[in-house]
Amino acid sequence: MKDNYPKAAARFLRDAERAKWHDDTLWMVRQKRDANARSIPEWEQLRHLASQIKTHTLLRLDHYLEQFADSAAANGITVHWAADAVEHNRLVLEILQSAGVKKLVKSKSMLAEECHLNPYLQAAGIEVVESDLGERILQLAGQPPSHIVMPAIHLTRQAVGKLFEEKLHTDPGNSDPTYLTRAARRHLRQHFLTADAAMTGANFCVADSGDVVVCTNEGNADMGVALAPLHVVSAGIEKVIPDAGALAVYTRLLARSATGQPVTAYTTHHRAPRPGCQMHVILVDNGRTDTLANPEHAQTLKCLRCGACMNTCPAYRHAGGYAYSYLIPGPIGMQLGMSRDPRAHAGDIPACSLCYSCNDACPAKVDLADQTYRWRQQLDSMHLASAPKKLISRVLRLLFTSPKLYENVLRLAPLVNRLPRFLVYNRLNAWGRDREMPPFAGESFTRAWKRGKVKASREKSK
Amino acid sequence: MTHKDEILARLRRRAIPDCPMPDVCLEAITYPDKVKQFTETLRLVGGDAVELTPGDDPNRLLRELYPDARVIASNLPGVTIATVNPDDLADPRDLDGVHLAVVAGDFGVAENGAVWITHNTKERALYFIPDYLAILLHRADIVNNMHEAYGRARVSAGFGVFISGPSKTADIEQSLVIGAHGAKGLTVIIL
Repeated sequence: MKDNYPKAAARFLRDAERAKWHDDTLWMVRQKRDANARSIPEWEQLRHLASQIKTHTLLRLDHYLEQFADSAAANGITVHWAADAVEHNRLVLEILQSAGVKKLVKSKSMLAEECHLNPYLQAAGIEVVESDLGERILQLAGQPPSHIVMPAIHLTRQAVGKLFEEKLHTDPGNSDPTYLTRAARRHLRQHFLTADAAMTGANFCVADSGDVVVCTNEGNADMGVALAPLHVVSAGIEKVIPDAGALAVYTRLLARSATGQPVTAYTTHHRAPRPGCQMHVILVDNGRTDTLANPEHAQTLKCLRCGACMNTCPAYRHAGGYAYSYLIPGPIGMQLGMSRDPRAHAGDIPACSLCYSCNDACPAKVDLADQTYRWRQQLDSMHLASAPKKLISRVLRLLFTSPKLYENVLRLAPLVNRLPRFLVYNRLNAWGRDREMPPFAGESFTRAWKRGKVKASREKSK
Repeated sequence: MTHKDEILARLRRRAIPDCPMPDVCLEAITYPDKVKQFTETLRLVGGDAVELTPGDDPNRLLRELYPDARVIASNLPGVTIATVNPDDLADPRDLDGVHLAVVAGDFGVAENGAVWITHNTKERALYFIPDYLAILLHRADIVNNMHEAYGRARVSAGFGVFISGPSKTADIEQSLVIGAHGAKGLTVIIL
């Protein structure tokens, strides 16, 4: 797993045109986010509030979780608690089986992905239909998501056209997005009308009212819940917020940060089951309490899952979501993966250039880049540091702590300019891959300065 | 110990320094002309807002806007062009095939073009399943921003939703398509 990132990124970059499209498209989403943020004069104040409210709530999560559970129960919702993924999946299956469910329509839930729920339910004989268009495409293609908000961003329209041709019998060769979306609408409408249960995630669980708030653009979560007699909600315990005042802050930030829209098309408050129907909420820990107990990484739990950190990350935009080893990619995925299993996901940590753009884009001010930096400091003690990089560090340390040696080496450096190409550009020099090395200057700055050769730019222009 | 107690006990091992609940009191954006801002934002997200001229009949306007709608569902007393009263249907699935639903909005939000709708019909599917959705909204009922909105939003019969424009997706190559699963078009009639 450890060296997976460069290899997987290289695979993605093989189709240079596609990789460029990926980079440009996500950058466009980032620019839309910027334009939206700038249209709100109090944007930075909102981010500050979002961060503080989450921090406050996480510190009293025991209190707010109980409050949410009590409010929801008083509204007629059955509340369950799951310590881990196994427990979560077992609960979902029990609820579905006791209601005699054969077909479940699901709206997008990263928690369900985290728990690997679909294969578990399918093995128990339940038909699971993903209803978000991107998720449905991936389900039909048998692929995992490569982005948390734009799950099928890695696929071309031609690939989707071909897939639909095979699975939904659309016209051969037609890859028009409107045509394909309409075909999916008809196909999924039939599933909505025949499903026995609907499952959704939760964007927010409001403690004082017991509301489960779900935000979508497609309306797929709403279609599922409005038609099926049973609604099952999976929510990570960090989704709880105190009240509607807090919700106002988050609904203003979420879609603007995610896709550059002022708000999602649907922001739905589910407070009680429909008459004669059932609603269940499963509150899931699955490692979150451990993350919260770790002062260096607890802030990860403030995440709203908007994906802004991915869209802005130069490494993510260039390498694509599949380069990352954890199912959630990009800066936030690196933290979530590492807090789960550092051994499995440490290979992604060096991909970051520590440009800190993610910190600036994050609406909840999660200290993403700082966390990556801290993980890097820990890699060696966890025996996960790369051997060549350790060697380079040791040599550089020697060089930088011995001024005489440094000066002598620098004096010899220009010789590199005259070396045969194969000695400079080979597999030992990762920096020489895909780019030309800058030539060494004939003389170091220090020497030039001492000889009075360095002129201030103003003098020079005279 | 139950899972609940176990999780709550684990949460009491706090790691990050204490932080009081901040006062969510900020000078949020306001607009000199809320109707104009609401209309512009709604158009930006793929919907439309039409102001009803005083004395005009909303039924006439709806007919003009949706000339092809044959199955029109509404439980509002003034909507005479309705062909179906959704509250008479036994099952929400029977709403499949409705071309146009006409519903009442509680209030609109100028900053994002959203309209708050509570449960004022038997089945909430009415807001999602029809091909097109028309929302009647009084011009006095438009607030500036989401802070004002949540100060006002009341949930009734366990349900409430902000709807901002028609249903949409960009899941195929980030190419925007209006009309994913919900309404393929949305008009707010400003009264």
